[in-house]
Amino acid sequence: MVNENLVKDVVKEPYKYGFVTDIETEKIEKGLNEDIIKLISQKKEEPKFLLDFRLKAFKKWQKMKEPDWAELGYKKIDYQDIIYYSAPKQKEKISSLDEVDPKLLETFDKLGIPLTEQKKLTNVAVDAVFDSVSIATTFREELAEHGVIFCSISEAVKNHADLIEKYLGTVVPASDNYFAALNSAVFSDGSFVYIPKGVSCPMDLSSYFRINSGDSGQFERTLIIAEESSSVSYLEGCTAPMFDTNTLHAAVVELIALDDASIKYSTVQNWYAGDEEGIGGIFNFVTKRGKCLGKRSKISWSQVETGSAITWKYPSCLLLGEESVGEFYSVALTNNLQQADTGTKMIHIGPKTKSTIVSKGISAGNSKNSYRGLVKMGTKATGSRNYSQCDSMLIGDQASANTFPYIKSQQPNSEIEHEASTCRISEDQLFYLQSRGIEFEEAVSMMVSGFCRDVFNQLPMEFAAEADKLLALKLEGSVG
Amino acid sequence: MEIIEKIKTNKLDDKQTEIQKICLHKLQSSPLPNPKSELWRLSNKSKLSNFLDYSVNQRDLKFDIPYPKNSQSTIRLIIGENCQIKLLEKNYSIQQLSEDELHKYIKEQISFFKQNENWSDLLNLSLSCKNNILGLKINGSKIPPIEIFSHASSNSLTAKTLVIFLEKNCDVELLQVNLGKENSSLSQSTFFCLKENSSVNHGVVSYGKNRSNLLNSLNVIQQKNSAYNLGSLHFKFNYARFEISIKQSAGNAKTNIKGLQITKNDEQISTYTKIEFNGPNGFLDQINKSLADDKSHAIFEGSIIVPKIAQRTDASQLSRNLLLSNLAQIDTKPQLEIIADDVKCKHGATISQLNEEELFYMRTRGITLTEASKLQLSSYFQEIISFIPISKDRWDLLDKLLNEN
Repeated sequence: MVNENLVKDVVKEPYKYGFVTDIETEKIEKGLNEDIIKLISQKKEEPKFLLDFRLKAFKKWQKMKEPDWAELGYKKIDYQDIIYYSAPKQKEKISSLDEVDPKLLETFDKLGIPLTEQKKLTNVAVDAVFDSVSIATTFREELAEHGVIFCSISEAVKNHADLIEKYLGTVVPASDNYFAALNSAVFSDGSFVYIPKGVSCPMDLSSYFRINSGDSGQFERTLIIAEESSSVSYLEGCTAPMFDTNTLHAAVVELIALDDASIKYSTVQNWYAGDEEGIGGIFNFVTKRGKCLGKRSKISWSQVETGSAITWKYPSCLLLGEESVGEFYSVALTNNLQQADTGTKMIHIGPKTKSTIVSKGISAGNSKNSYRGLVKMGTKATGSRNYSQCDSMLIGDQASANTFPYIKSQQPNSEIEHEASTCRISEDQLFYLQSRGIEFEEAVSMMVSGFCRDVFNQLPMEFAAEADKLLALKLEGSVG
Repeated sequence: MEIIEKIKTNKLDDKQTEIQKICLHKLQSSPLPNPKSELWRLSNKSKLSNFLDYSVNQRDLKFDIPYPKNSQSTIRLIIGENCQIKLLEKNYSIQQLSEDELHKYIKEQISFFKQNENWSDLLNLSLSCKNNILGLKINGSKIPPIEIFSHASSNSLTAKTLVIFLEKNCDVELLQVNLGKENSSLSQSTFFCLKENSSVNHGVVSYGKNRSNLLNSLNVIQQKNSAYNLGSLHFKFNYARFEISIKQSAGNAKTNIKGLQITKNDEQISTYTKIEFNGPNGFLDQINKSLADDKSHAIFEGSIIVPKIAQRTDASQLSRNLLLSNLAQIDTKPQLEIIADDVKCKHGATISQLNEEELFYMRTRGITLTEASKLQLSSYFQEIISFIPISKDRWDLLDKLLNEN
């Protein structure tokens, strides 16, 4: 009966992460051109190869067209009206957490992500990103003992330039798509993880992204490399203040798994979704992709998408190594005027590769929720298998649920199975719960939670509880 | 692409009908479909251009019907040849639509057409001369089965149009046979209007010969309490597209679709279906099967659209595919677009090869691999073929499929 209590706690809560931290920030002028990119690169004291990477990406981006194939309607984004770099002002070099602006620490405290020594979460190392920069990373020394590198990508550029040069842009090339090219040109910070050969990361790693400024976009980049026989579980959380303007978030995540390595990447996305009239909210255009390079490697994506006015996100797996495994577990909830077009791509290239897709979409209010997926069996993917299941639940007669699975096979010795269903909350089950004295709204929350169980089971403990709470909160007032 | 040039410069025919003029006008600004659009993205460009390479043929040569008429009661019509029919019996009547009725209906349909989505129909109606349009009004019950033939002529492009009105409470079995000839292109558009309480078992069998092409489009409008059952089979075409659009205009109607497409060599056959529910209590059961061998390519795209008004819709769609060769390709995209909340909608898709365990079992019982494969294929085909009216008892399609392929 965990849900019952959780639901009770949160039913009447508004978007509690909507506050703004009043802190002095350093912002560059609005707009996007080569000089701005050079300025960002200069501020971050980057080596030449990275500036070249950015400029090349920018050139490509200028020639590209914003994609319009998704089932999304939003007002045109003015890319010259965005601030591409915003960072809280702090002392030049921070040697310990004590030197971090207390206001920032307080912000993350309020978000439930304490960073200070006494309070920090046990057994989860956190990299906290505030607007364009990483504020702090906890448990670094403990991780270093095992040879694990966990730091902001800016630091990695300085301290591990060889790894960055070798891997950056190898999974999501700069020319991959419009938003990936934009990110490659202007990315400001993000996390870098390197797990050496044979190491199983002793604790969960986590990044927490916070947008604070209303007029700056967030363009973070995450790169995770798991060497042979290593494993890591990585969690990502996001929140933003309530502004009546739309803020752009265009991130890129690249995962690389070598022989026998495994990466588990979990996201709970709770960006501000805009108000009931659809004013404000984050435009979330994210490119996430993992490359199973090695034999028997495994990449697993699990995500709970509840926030953002617009979500455009397709975490994918390139299954190159023999017997490599890709997984995608997703819950996408939309309410009010939110729009989500999300799904996955499983590209089977190597032989005996396997993939599983479980997607649950819940649409309430006037929202639009689409699953868009691609399963492709290449000519060499003999003995490969895919299983996909996407279920949608509709709450109210104004919401829409769409399913667009693309399936392509060029290999007769492979099997693809796909099934999808759309339903609404069963009245019989509701009646049963109500006849047992459970309030209507609680009963709905329980059923939604049950609907998503397959996905929640894949989330790490801390996230599973949060996800449950989030769903109940988001559904408040949407039923009945 | 001689025809496209002629459409652009408006040099097709001197004696154009009003419908031809309207359709040509719609095509003139962009005479080809958008190759980047979802509906045409996978379509083989050179095969489509081959389709359009032939010059338009308006006078048919003598057509030999491929199989004899088995029962005297079957009504047999050939589009373009014997367009005169008027049968007024005790239980039923079959008569031609008057020119006014025909024009009014087609014009109404064209007004909803979009250049890209209905390109095949627009092309058909631009090219289809008066002789090649058959309009029928069918009324009554206990109607003898009807067979309608549409055939191509070698080295030319032929466009034929069929319009059928099923009056209230009418019940009929109708088989449409589209025949390709060597090096030919056939454009066939069919418009069906099912009035209240009517029901039809509709069969569409299309088979070609060497290098024959087909653009086959089917537009169905179902009024309340009508039942539309479609069994279709497409094979032996260098390039074929079967576009089905079904609209349940006021809901409360039943639609059953079972389709099969078989591709060999370097053929490409595709099926696109769009089912719209514009009222409550609609029902759909659809299964589409594909078999791709050699270097061929089979495509299925099906969309089910359930707007807010279509509460209590029950729709299911299944795409089952067999991929038999390393060089063949299958693309399938079943999709659901749903706004109504009180609905039951599901879809499924599978791509695999013949079941190895079943093959092994049969071989242990002394059946050769070839025979065992044939047995499996025959059960795979049978589900669809048994759904095609008329043909099932006398014209053994199954044998044809298994032995000729």
